[in-house]
Parts: sequence; structure tokens; C-alpha cells
Amino acid sequence: MTSFTKPATHLALAAAGILALTAAAPDNFDVRTQIGPNPVLPPIQQYLVPPMKLAPSVGWKQGEMPTVASGLRVQALATGLEHPRSVYTLPNGDVLVVESRSPELDPVSRPKNIVMNWMEKMVTSNGVQSGSNRITLLRDTKGTGTPDLRTVFLDHLYSPFGVALVGNDLYVANTDAILKFAYTPGATSITTPGTVLTPLPGGPIDHHWTKSLVASEDGSKLYVGIGSNSNITENGIGAELGRADIWEVDRSNGAHRIFASGLRNPNGLVFEPQSHALWCVVNERDELGPDLVPDYLTSVKDGAFYGWPYSYYGQHVDPRVQPQRPDLVAKAIPPDYALSSHVAPLGLVFDTGNSLPSHYSGGAFVGEHGSWDRDILNGYKVVFVPFSNGKPNGTAEDVLTGFVDAKGNAHGRPVAVTLDKTGALLVADDVGNTVWRVSSANQNQAAK
Amino acid sequence: MMNTDLAAVPTRTAGHPLLRILVSFPIACFCGALVTDSVYASTAEIAWADFSTWLLAAGMFMGLLAAIVGLADLVGNRRLRRPRSVPVAVIGSLLVLGVGFLNNLVHSRDAWTSVVPDGLALSAVTVLLIVLTVWLSSGTVYRTRVIVQPAGTRS
Repeated sequence: MTSFTKPATHLALAAAGILALTAAAPDNFDVRTQIGPNPVLPPIQQYLVPPMKLAPSVGWKQGEMPTVASGLRVQALATGLEHPRSVYTLPNGDVLVVESRSPELDPVSRPKNIVMNWMEKMVTSNGVQSGSNRITLLRDTKGTGTPDLRTVFLDHLYSPFGVALVGNDLYVANTDAILKFAYTPGATSITTPGTVLTPLPGGPIDHHWTKSLVASEDGSKLYVGIGSNSNITENGIGAELGRADIWEVDRSNGAHRIFASGLRNPNGLVFEPQSHALWCVVNERDELGPDLVPDYLTSVKDGAFYGWPYSYYGQHVDPRVQPQRPDLVAKAIPPDYALSSHVAPLGLVFDTGNSLPSHYSGGAFVGEHGSWDRDILNGYKVVFVPFSNGKPNGTAEDVLTGFVDAKGNAHGRPVAVTLDKTGALLVADDVGNTVWRVSSANQNQAAK
Repeated sequence: MMNTDLAAVPTRTAGHPLLRILVSFPIACFCGALVTDSVYASTAEIAWADFSTWLLAAGMFMGLLAAIVGLADLVGNRRLRRPRSVPVAVIGSLLVLGVGFLNNLVHSRDAWTSVVPDGLALSAVTVLLIVLTVWLSSGTVYRTRVIVQPAGTRS
């Protein structure tokens, strides 16, 4: 292979680059300019020492809870869970809480990994790495948010995340395979072993390990989100085979094809109720500055390429990827709706119920796990994006906040979201080890 | 070279033998990093960039150890401060470690720009500084010999 740049230009570029590094301006960027279909994208900034600022996790004390928008009410559906990452509602109203921990397969291929691997542990679990990797069932017969039954539904899973039920086939996306289990309506536990429908990219490196799962509306296909194996190809492009993609899996035989690509870490796969299009939220790349690259919410078009790793928001080329691929950059399409940078969206659901205030009807709830690589925290909340005619229409608004207190401590961090059978919003909180239930305040008054 | 006084001069000038052993590590590691950086710059194979990060980290660690031992030598032996070679070696070594530290940070970036262009340039500057430091300070050691060595015994 030939040299990519001339050595003579290296010195000059390096001198300019290092001078620029010492002159980093304070961050007075308005993150609201990055919420919506056309985010402001500042110039790339490459660090000598990237910022690392994570809200220290303190958990929720008895009676403490997040703050909810007016007209809504929040309560803890379940506490004392082991790192709940995902929630799924079965047709009979039973709620499955997926408790999951990282497979911890990030390599130490360079000294930086020692720091980053520690940081990732703190991000996802406050450093606690035991138990978990199971699904807990909550049964709330009265539908009031106080479950009368709690059982271990499915145990000994391998970093599970996505769940999808089609008929009586229950699919669980472990980090390395989609498993199929036989489900009997009303069952409170499954003890029969599952069978592998489709192996998924897992180890030996497994950087973005959460595999989000959704079944097509006719039940014939499964869609699974497979995150990239690096921030920006620093583990080699070979480690990215089949990753940063959404796969379409044929439920009858397990065969798969790549449905869409260039999505760095897609989660919250769900169908939009009006257009019936597949949507997801995506965690974009780090270490280009506190305000690059905005994470986003997007519809997923069949065969589309969304840029990662070569570019972002269309044709904004990332200089860290080599060899570059101008052919792919030319094909890259921008996502639909930016959520602002480093908010780490991991959950998405549309309000298809009829119990929340009508203001929310048809719009999207997004669980933002929160930033760790910018000096001013961003995310750490659940936001609502209004939709009309199957498209975002309006600015994101806060629904559930107060996960970080005035001292900068994190009591909890929202991950996946879903609706329960009554139409209330459920939020998995993996640091607070809680599932929160957000329902209409009026409905509560009526119930009294 | 048979003169016992003469044999003692380079040893004292170069400091404690431990320093000589330690100093060889950053020299080898930082020169090695220039090689691995160059290979990465021409192949874009990420393993070569990873090799650079370990070489730079090891060079920095052993370089700091050598600096500590060197400073202890200086404090413990006043005669070492006399030759002109010593300030050259001290300033040169500090520059090498300073640039090496900066280079470690640049190499902690992800993928291509951890090496090209900043990292590769800093690796080249480090090696240049090493060569200059060794050249200028060892030259002075030789002249010290000349001064001390009685005329007529030179070969």
C-alpha cells in the first residue's frame, strides 16, 4: 500500500494541530441548536486529553425519585433489581425486566484501554459486575403500578438486551445470539433451554454489546441492532464485520441480511405506528469535541448507509478512518432527528396507548443514558419528541429528569423504555436498579 | 587507555552504571516508535499504531526512571556538574521526555490521527532530539578525556 500523506506535510500539520489544541475554548455551545432535523455541527476538535466527566452514581434512597413533567406521575414499579437495561410487556400485561451486564470483552491492545475499560464499567454499572444476566417477571394484576408477583423468569443468559414475542415463540437477544424459547401464556418462568435462531457478532472483542430486537408487524422477520466494535475503527476495520448494522433475520430459518448499515450503535428498534416504518436511536462517535457528533433518532430505510465509520450526518468525513471510502461517503444519508451530542440514547418507544395525556399521543419517548465525555453533562433523562404524519414535528421536551442532583451525583440513569398494558411509560434505570412507571396524573386522581 | 585515572573519567562522566542501563530503554523504545509509526502511516494496519503506544509508554516509564536516577547522581556527586556535557545531557533528556509525553497523549487518540500527522512528527522530533543529545554530550566526554589525558600517551 502506498503512503497516505506526504511526510513533508506532516510536520507543518502537526505544529498547527498541537497549537490549536492548547487553545480549546470554554464550552458555551447551546446544545438546543443540536436538537432537531438540522443540527449545528461545529468544527472537529481532536484532544490531547479527552474530557471524562461522569456523574458519580449514588443510587436512590427510600422515597427519592426522578422528577416528572406536569400532568404526569412517576412511581417505582420495582426496585432492588440487578442492573436492569431493558423492559418488555407481554400480551397478558406481565412485564419482563432484562437485567444485564457487559460481557467485559474489551481488549487491552494499548495503554488507553486500561483507562477506557474502567470508565465503561463505571458508565454502565457503577463498577458492580456480579449477578444479573437474567429476566425478572413483574405481574401487576390491578394495573396500578404495584406488582403482586415478582419471579425470575429466565436465568443464566449472556448479556441479554432485546426481547420479542411472536405467537408463543419468545426471542431473547443475547450479545452473541438470538435465542428462541417456548412461551406459554401466563407462565411465570421458563426453565427449558432455548435454541439458537441466529448467531450474532459477539466476542472476541464485543465493544457495543447490547443487541436490540423487534419483530416485524406480520411476525415473519426479526430486526436486530448490532453496535460497532469500537469508537471509530481503533480495533481495526476487520473487527467491524457485520457490525454497525441492523440485521433483518428470517424467523423461519434464521438467515439474515443487512437491512441498513453505518449506524454506530443502534438501539430502541421499534415500528412507528402511523407510517409503519422501522425507527431507532443511535449513539454516534466520541472524541471529536463536546458537541460532536450528535446522537440521533431516525427512521431506518431498507439498504441505506448512515455513514459510520467514514462520515457523519451525510458527507462530514471523519479523518480518523483510513483508508477512506469516498464511494461510501457519497452514499451516506443524514438521519432524521438529532438529539444533541453524547446524550447516549438507548431506549425508544412510541405512545400508542391511550392513558397518557393526549399531548403525547403518537410521539416518541427516548431514554438518554447520559454523557461521560463532555465537561457539561448532557442527557440523563427521558425526553419526548412530538410526531405527526409519521415524522418528528417539534422540539424534544423533558419528560423524566432529576436523575442527576444539584451536587452532580447520579441517582440513576435511564436506559430502555416501553409501554405497559395500561399505556403507562416504563423506564429501566440501570444505575438506580429500578423500573420507573410514568402514568397520567389525572388518571391517578380518577382512580382514587 | 591503560591509565587508571582515565578509565575512571568516562564512568564518572556518564554517571552511575545503572543510569546507562536505564537510558538505553527510552532510546530504543522511542526510536522503535518512529519505525512502527512509519509502518502504520504507510499501511494503515492498526496493530502498528498499537505497537507505537506500548513503545511510547515503555519509553516514557523507563525514561522517567532514568531521569530520577540521573538527578540522584547529580545531587550525590558534585564533580559531575563540572563538565559541559552534563547540562546538555540534562536539557536534552528533559526535552526528549517532554516531547515523548506529548506524543503519548497524541497516540491515545483513536485510529489514523493518533499517528498521522501529529504522532509521526512528534516521534521524528523525539528521535532527532535523542541523536542530538547523545552526539553533543558524548562529544564532550571525549574532549574531557583529551584534557585529562597526559600528552604523549594518546594513540
